[in-house]
Amino acid sequence: MRRMGHRAWLVVAALLVLTNGTFPAIWILFTSLKTEAELTRTPITYWPAEPTLANYVRAFQEAPLPRYFLNSLVVAAGATILCVSISALAAYALARLRVLFAHALLLTLVALAMFPTATLVVPLFQIFTTLGLRNTYLGLILPHAALSLPVAVLVLYSFFKTIPKDLEAAALVDGCTRLGALWYVVVPLSGPGVFTAALLAFVNSWDEFLLALTLAPAKDMRTLPVGITLYQGEYLFPWPLISAALVVALVPVAVVIALFQERIVAGLTQGAVKG
Amino acid sequence: MRRPWDLSERALAFFFLVPAFLLLSLVAVYPAAHLFLTSFRELHLALGTQGAFVGLANYRQLLEDARFWNALRVTLEIVLVTVPGATLFGLALALMANLPYGIKWPVRLGLLLPWAMPLVFAGLIFRWFFESDFGIVNDVLRRLGQGPLFWLTDPILAFWAVALSIVWKTSSFVALVLLAGLQSIPREYYEAARVDGAGALQIFWRITLPLLKPALLVALIFRTLTALQTFDIPYAMTGGGPGHATETLAMFIRTQSVENLNLGYGSAAAMTLFALSMAVTSLYLRHLQATEGE
Repeated sequence: MRRMGHRAWLVVAALLVLTNGTFPAIWILFTSLKTEAELTRTPITYWPAEPTLANYVRAFQEAPLPRYFLNSLVVAAGATILCVSISALAAYALARLRVLFAHALLLTLVALAMFPTATLVVPLFQIFTTLGLRNTYLGLILPHAALSLPVAVLVLYSFFKTIPKDLEAAALVDGCTRLGALWYVVVPLSGPGVFTAALLAFVNSWDEFLLALTLAPAKDMRTLPVGITLYQGEYLFPWPLISAALVVALVPVAVVIALFQERIVAGLTQGAVKG
Repeated sequence: MRRPWDLSERALAFFFLVPAFLLLSLVAVYPAAHLFLTSFRELHLALGTQGAFVGLANYRQLLEDARFWNALRVTLEIVLVTVPGATLFGLALALMANLPYGIKWPVRLGLLLPWAMPLVFAGLIFRWFFESDFGIVNDVLRRLGQGPLFWLTDPILAFWAVALSIVWKTSSFVALVLLAGLQSIPREYYEAARVDGAGALQIFWRITLPLLKPALLVALIFRTLTALQTFDIPYAMTGGGPGHATETLAMFIRTQSVENLNLGYGSAAAMTLFALSMAVTSLYLRHLQATEGE
């Protein structure tokens, strides 16, 4: 009897967490399947009365969604590759090589990378205008890479600390050079750490809005968050289109989560809590 | 004992650290210096000023600008409401997610989807929730015999609608950090307490909460930092309105510098936010320093 009650509570708690997290996405999915007439009817309907994909067709017709998607993908992939390679080198040096003031350097890196974006956007706007980097992929890749640097460095730093030093020492004794030991011993073992850092960097860049809005506002350079949010400027709040576009943009996010849930949860905590 | 590769190790470390510092110089250090200097200049591109050095004039103007004080107040109110709000809600989510489930994906999905969603998307969805005629919030109120409330056109309600959306969106990050903290507490502690006859509440106050302190601290610091820089959700929900009722410092800064092209003035406003943020960052660095060596 007591066990039964216990299990019921488990189901209730799981449902609460699941509903809280997914209801907004589900509601926007329902919204996107309703006709424009149904959306402006009161009292409102919950379940779509006559589900239609018309909003999706219009969302693709009236805004270059594939282009936004491509922009987001190029920027996020570029920022991820740049961020992870730079962070891996720095984290390895700080975790494994003899560096004077290694810990002070680590803290300096994290502190610099945590300069508030909401303020740096002003000088970046000026500097990138001068350099001709506004409305270019590189102009977003560079600051986005820096944005994820603290997380990536901290994740990789604690990961490199877990690789036994003896492995490298053995390679060195066997006549390997430092770089050789790094390439043949450390790189093959770094997969999980690099992958976790890459996932977090990718999501950070994919979600970033303020820099993307300010540094790449040109119509064909907008990322997904910017492109979809700026739909509103052109019409009197087109909910049918926005809801459909939101669903399209959320699907890849949901897929990434479904595939890598465990890795993301582990990485978030390494980056933030452990240090 | 000096080994033959000692020298090259130093050199290697140097070359490995160069790219990181180079990138940060370009997108953080140099821009920060640029921002600092610009805040003492009269650089108003729309008026064609040449950037003459004007000392503290921009800062003095800020002190007299009611809109700046309003933005500062809105920002601090958002910190005061959403940081404790997201922490408590996140703690509740984490405690529920930490129960011994056979199937783990439903709670993981419930925590990860809001975390991975761009803030502006959350803002847009909640704007639709709070829509006065066709939003679900007013529909629920109508079913309860209340309402309709004009959520996004009433200054006070707009603030609370924005704050609630921020709490929903950011509590997932808090929950994920706290969940990891919960999972690092050894099971034996709970078992020992239960053997000693401790109740659930006692276990929570005496074991869970004290051992969760490091994770709570990190979540609080990060949440405060992001709350200070709040931009995306009010931008998507209200655009800072009605009037300037939900205009945060970050929005004020961007409007002044990027939209009005008053870069000197916008930079001075940005410097105040910079100082606020760095004060909180220094707390995080102190925490990192304290946990190192463990």
